[in-house]
Amino acid sequence: MADSEKIDLYKQYKDQYAAPKSPVLVTLDQVRYLCISGRGAPGGPEFKDKVGALYGAAYTIKMTRKFASLQDYVICKLEAQWWLDGGKQDFADVPREQWNWKLMIRTPEVVGEDELQRAQSVLTQKGKSPRVSEVKLETIREGLCVQMLHVGPYEQENRTIAVMEDFAAQQGMGFHGLHHEIYLSDPRRVPPERLKTILRHPVTKKDHRSSK
Amino acid sequence: MKKSTQQLYNERILRVLILIQKNLDAEMPLNELARAAHFSPYHFHRIFRGMVGESLKEHIRRLRLERAALRLKHTDRSVLEIALEAGYETHEAFSRAFRSLCGCSPSGFRSDNSRICGANAPGVHYRENGSMAEFELTTGGKTMDVRVEHLEPMRVAFVRHVGPYSQVGKAWEKLCARLGREGLLAGGTRFVGVCYDDPEVTAPEKLRYDACVTVDEDFEAEGEVGVQTICGGEYAVVTHFGPYEDLGRTYGQLYGRWMPQNGRQPRSEPCLEFYLNDPDGTDPEDLLTDIYAPLEPVS
Repeated sequence: MADSEKIDLYKQYKDQYAAPKSPVLVTLDQVRYLCISGRGAPGGPEFKDKVGALYGAAYTIKMTRKFASLQDYVICKLEAQWWLDGGKQDFADVPREQWNWKLMIRTPEVVGEDELQRAQSVLTQKGKSPRVSEVKLETIREGLCVQMLHVGPYEQENRTIAVMEDFAAQQGMGFHGLHHEIYLSDPRRVPPERLKTILRHPVTKKDHRSSK
Repeated sequence: MKKSTQQLYNERILRVLILIQKNLDAEMPLNELARAAHFSPYHFHRIFRGMVGESLKEHIRRLRLERAALRLKHTDRSVLEIALEAGYETHEAFSRAFRSLCGCSPSGFRSDNSRICGANAPGVHYRENGSMAEFELTTGGKTMDVRVEHLEPMRVAFVRHVGPYSQVGKAWEKLCARLGREGLLAGGTRFVGVCYDDPEVTAPEKLRYDACVTVDEDFEAEGEVGVQTICGGEYAVVTHFGPYEDLGRTYGQLYGRWMPQNGRQPRSEPCLEFYLNDPDGTDPEDLLTDIYAPLEPVS
C-alpha cells in the first residue's frame, strides 16, 4: 500500500527533467533540495567527502521516515550548480581547484527541517560523515531555463553549452544565474563517452542596451 | 510481549541456519545446534520444523544434495566423488536421493546442465538454416571483464529472505529502515546480497538470500536483524550491467566460460552481490552489480 503512494519527483515533474538532443525551454518554479556547498576539483577529496555527507543525510532521513511508516519517496539523482569567483563564465580559464559548486538532491516538501537535524545529530554521533553538519535544506527558484542532454565526458560540455547559448540568443535571451547539471549516469562505471548529463542554465530576455 | 518472543526465536533460528551452512560437512549433533541457539534440545526439533518448514535432517540433506548438483554442474569431479562428499556411501544411494530431489539421475543432470561446454560456448557452431550448411563463428557476445580479488572477511548486519529472488526487496526494506534510522547507512557502507542457492537447482520458494550491510564491531543483532561474518578469500569478480532479472546470464558466463577458460573451480561458499546503486531511483538498464564468485585456491 505504501508502495503505490511512494513519491517519485522525477516522474511527477517529468517535463522538468526533459533530456532532449537539442535545446528546449523549461520553467522551474520553487524546488526543494538537500544541498552542500564547496570548492575544488570535481572528484577531489572535498568533493567526494561532501557527496558522501549529502547521500548520508538523504538516506538517513528517508529510512527514518520508512521506519516510522511515514510517506516514502525515491531519492533523486545528484545535481550540482557550478560557478566561478568574480562572475567569470569560462571554466576552461580557471583551474579546477578554484571551481565553486553546490551539490543537490531534490527532496519532497514533506521532509522537514527537524528531520534533517535529527539525521545530522545521529550521523555525527556515529562519526559517519563529519561534513554532514554542512548539509542544508534549500528552496531554489531558477525560473525560465534552457535545457539539453549532454552525452560524453564532462570536459566536453562546452560544445553543448555553446549550442544552448545559441538557442537562447535566437529567442532573444541570454544566460544568467548558475550553470546546473543533473547527473543521469554513474561516472564510476559508465565510460566517459557514454556519460549522460542534463545541462540547465537559467535565461532572461536580453535588453537592448546590453546586447550591443 | 508476544512480538519480542517471536523476534527472539527468529534470531536464534537464523543462528542455527548459518551454523549449518558453515558446517555442512560436519555431523552436527542436534544437542549442539540447539545449545548454540539457546533452545532446549527437547523441543528443538519441533521448533526447527515449525519455523523452517522441513526437519533438521531434511534441511541438511537437501542442502548437501543441492551442493552436489552445483558440483555436477560446475566441476569435472566424478559422480562417485561428489556422492561421497554429499555424505552417501554408494553411487546408488546418491542417485536415488538425487532423483527424488531433482527428478533425474546425477549424470543426466550433469549432461543437461553442464556449464563447462554450454551451448553458447564460443567457437565454431553448425547452423542448420540457410541453403547450405554453414559454420558460424561466435565469440559469445562481448568479452567479460573478470578480475580476481582477495576479499577480507566482512562483518555485516543482515535480514534473511527465503523465497524467489524477485521478492528480496522486503528484506532490504526491513534492514535499511532499521539501520538507516540509526545513522548506519553512511560513510562507505557496502550493500551485499549473499546468495546461498542456485535458482536453477533450488526451488524458488526455498532460495536463501541474506540482505547485508557492513557494520562495525559494536553493532548487535536484534530480532530479525542478525549479524554474521562474510567469508573472505579469493573471488572472481565481474560487474553486471542492467536489470537484476538478468543476473543469471552473467553468472552463467562467469561459471560456464571464465572459470573453465581460466582453469579455476568454484569454492563451496555462497556467491556475493555488491549493489553499487539504488534500484529505487535508477533505471533497470543502469543498475550496477559486482558479482563475487568464490574460488578454490589454485592447486
